[in-house]
Amino acid sequence: MNDNLYILESLKHSSPIIQLVWGISGIFFIIIAFLIIYLKYLRTHLRVNEKIEAKYQEDYESYLVTYLYAGNDDEAFSSEQQLIINELKKCVADPFKRKIIISTLLKLRNEISGEMGESIDTLFNKLGLLRYSLAKLRNKKWEVIAIGIRELTQFKIKAVHKIIMNNINHPKREVRKEMQLYLVYLYAFKGLEFLNVLETSLSEWDQIQLLEVLQLNNDTQISDIKPWLKSSNDSVVIFTLKLAKVYNQFEAKEELIELLNHKSEDVRINVISALSHLNVFEAKNILKNNFNERSHEEQIAFLKMMENVYEASDKPFLLEHIHHKNSEINLLVMEILKNINFEEFEVNEAELKKPLTA
Amino acid sequence: MNNTKKIVLAEDNSVLSLLLKFRLEKEGYKLLIAVDGKQAIELIEEHNPELILTDIMMPFVSGLEVISHVRNKLNMQTPIIVFSSAGQEEIVLKAFDLGATDFMSKPFSPHELVIRVKRLLI
Amino acid sequence: MNTNTVQIIMPIIHYFFLVFTAIAIASYVILAIISALETIEYVKKNSFVNYKEILSSTFSPSISIIAPAYNESLNIVENVRSLLSSHYVNYDVIIVNDGSKDDSLSKLIEAYDLIQIDHLINEHIKTKPLREGIYKSTNPAFDKLTVIDKENGGKADALNMGLNMSKNRYVACIDVDCLLLEDALQKMIKPFLETTDAKVIAAGGVIRIANSCIVKDGKLLDVNFPKTWLEQGQILEYLRAFLLGRMAWSRLNGLLVISGAFGLFDKKIAIKAGGYDTNTVGEDMEIIVRMRRYMEDEKQKYKVAYIPDPLCWTEAPDNYKTFISQRNRWTRGTIETLKKHRKIGFNPKYKSLGLISYPYWFFFERMAPIIEVAGIIYFGILIVLNEVRWDYAFAFIILAYLFSVLFSIVAIVSEELTYHQYKKKSIGFKLVMIAFLEPFVNHPTILYSAIKGNIDYYFNKKKKWGVMIKKGMTKA
Repeated sequence: MNDNLYILESLKHSSPIIQLVWGISGIFFIIIAFLIIYLKYLRTHLRVNEKIEAKYQEDYESYLVTYLYAGNDDEAFSSEQQLIINELKKCVADPFKRKIIISTLLKLRNEISGEMGESIDTLFNKLGLLRYSLAKLRNKKWEVIAIGIRELTQFKIKAVHKIIMNNINHPKREVRKEMQLYLVYLYAFKGLEFLNVLETSLSEWDQIQLLEVLQLNNDTQISDIKPWLKSSNDSVVIFTLKLAKVYNQFEAKEELIELLNHKSEDVRINVISALSHLNVFEAKNILKNNFNERSHEEQIAFLKMMENVYEASDKPFLLEHIHHKNSEINLLVMEILKNINFEEFEVNEAELKKPLTA
Repeated sequence: MNNTKKIVLAEDNSVLSLLLKFRLEKEGYKLLIAVDGKQAIELIEEHNPELILTDIMMPFVSGLEVISHVRNKLNMQTPIIVFSSAGQEEIVLKAFDLGATDFMSKPFSPHELVIRVKRLLI
Repeated sequence: MNTNTVQIIMPIIHYFFLVFTAIAIASYVILAIISALETIEYVKKNSFVNYKEILSSTFSPSISIIAPAYNESLNIVENVRSLLSSHYVNYDVIIVNDGSKDDSLSKLIEAYDLIQIDHLINEHIKTKPLREGIYKSTNPAFDKLTVIDKENGGKADALNMGLNMSKNRYVACIDVDCLLLEDALQKMIKPFLETTDAKVIAAGGVIRIANSCIVKDGKLLDVNFPKTWLEQGQILEYLRAFLLGRMAWSRLNGLLVISGAFGLFDKKIAIKAGGYDTNTVGEDMEIIVRMRRYMEDEKQKYKVAYIPDPLCWTEAPDNYKTFISQRNRWTRGTIETLKKHRKIGFNPKYKSLGLISYPYWFFFERMAPIIEVAGIIYFGILIVLNEVRWDYAFAFIILAYLFSVLFSIVAIVSEELTYHQYKKKSIGFKLVMIAFLEPFVNHPTILYSAIKGNIDYYFNKKKKWGVMIKKGMTKA
């Protein structure tokens, strides 16, 4: 008791700096104590949750599988299915369980097509999960909206098209992207109409996802890509060039050749690549003529194209550039010449090989 | 003499393997499930199944390696059906090069798979 | 000495230490806050991202994994197999056997049916020549693998040869014994593809410590907490650095270092900047600084990204000798890099790189250990001269200690809120314990190795990498 009084006394008499320092130390100590308790709580909570989640997941998985195989041949639900539906409906009210149910459904939905896939979609609707996904769309947090759109995409809910379109100019790009994916997933090429009005950039990540989702749809009815090639949005042009490649759009040949003079180097390189894929011979001559005015990257892209469309008449052109100062271009020229079977190549190869494998 | 035909399934998606197990066991087959390539090879070596179903992308030992191991190291002619979410031609070609019997790309219809299984196990 | 002079000097010295510490603490706090916010934002953005499409697309960019290997015979076959089983589709693996004196090459040849092939390498960057040559597999299942056997030239030289060899757009430079998770590549490539307003030149990942973890068949089965204080302290240190530091620097676009254990680079830019520098022991930091400087000189908008997900697990030193050697090397690497690029320091031409990153690294990474040791020596002198105001000293020491503990505990809580990798029961308690112990256990050793590093740098130029005895991950 006396010691404590002594400490308090000396504290009161010490300089304000020391009082401040001890004060801060005291605060730190309290925060540390609080954090340690919080940590314990957090870890226990997470551990317990995981166990529960695993158990529920197992249950729901077996419910789902049983449901899928308990069906009748006609459209109506069998009694066994009805039982499962009722059981699951009770769980859906609880957000924790609901989340696990949705993720279980999704886990399977992504792997299965055909009748069984549609069966899962029906279950989604029957369980009333649609309501909850729609509610997410009205949430203020962007990540919740995005998840909501995604769920509607994966369960192919067409009816909500209008509501989703409200998000077309949402400030967060993740939301816009989910919306674009929804349109393409459900409507294939018709869904790409947003390209007409898109002002923001389509990143390469977005483009790849859109392309892959398009390919899932076996619909070969591709719409007219020419207007998109003239878009003022460079990323739209580049995306369209990828489309031209994948869907072999020979019809757009003229527009593509025009694009060889586009102001963006990136676009030009992608055009050369697309023309190469489509084996457009006319492009070759155009590019040969203004080869020297083009950037190194374009020259490399062109030479890669040449690997597919070379002719013996290209010999003089190639010989012109055999000593290009860029080593990558050099090698490409050599490769092509080699393919045209030149005796002169033997000499050049020996010369070239010397420094590289020393 | 036990006439039940054994199938080894290598798939790490638990719901999918449960679904397939359910369906194929209804048809009278016995299903052995592995969650990765290494486990698949162990099951194959131990049980000598009549059919192998394997995903291509699996941890550590890929589906391609499983095919290669079965055809080249074990010299077994067991029919192998491969499935993969990646639909690229390259992987399909490699799989057939190595000796796969059939290929299905995901998402697939389980009905279709069962039909193909039954056809190969006649 | 004249008492008046002493009267003047002492307060100045005190104020110097006080100001330095205050700025250091303020910067830690600011970085921690920014880091925490960035990590939360990242986790939100990626909680529902579907990586499936990127996996199978023919348009997904090509990546080469380059892994230099020196005398890794013990585990090389396993490690390579693990690298080959990544879930990404468009990638290949280039193992550069850097003049190993053991049987690494023959083990690989046997395990993967390799044969030697003739191949012309485009020598963008000068390297030591080939030794046994270039090998590829005859088995289509191992199509992705290329093994290069060359004369010994060091890690940087081996990586450069990998850069020369690769025909892909991006290169992932990793340590061959790093355990890469299956989805590491697609997570790391995302920033390169997603950023539209700047060019991403490099991306770094978090390195997690695999000591005592159970690894079977190249798969992380079980995450355990190691037994020694030395290892535990390192885990805490990495948590602080990665969760409360690097994310912030990435946000401020001021990241100066990407761990040599795992980093993804734009190959063209790396080559244009000159590849790795073989004359430094800190090649992982040096190349980033040089690539950034290149982009600044070219006046192109760029970014060095950072992914906080645990994607790469590696072995940390478990004995003092290796630990000191490692930290010694890190110190020398930092000094060498900062010295080589001193032109950018405080140079407004280099904007935030020169005005924020470089000064911070200089004062709080390079000079900090020296200042701390100087402070301790000064304190010792004061004790001898009987000039210590014990009430002040005691109060400040307690404050500093509590701050350090608090910071560590915040790092632990952040880890629980984000990735929660340490699930087992008593680990939480052990983490808190090491938070309290670390200032006494690891910190002095770190200071010692930093000082030794400085001494070695200035007086012992011949020292290079040092050897780390490989023990391999715990087998199940």
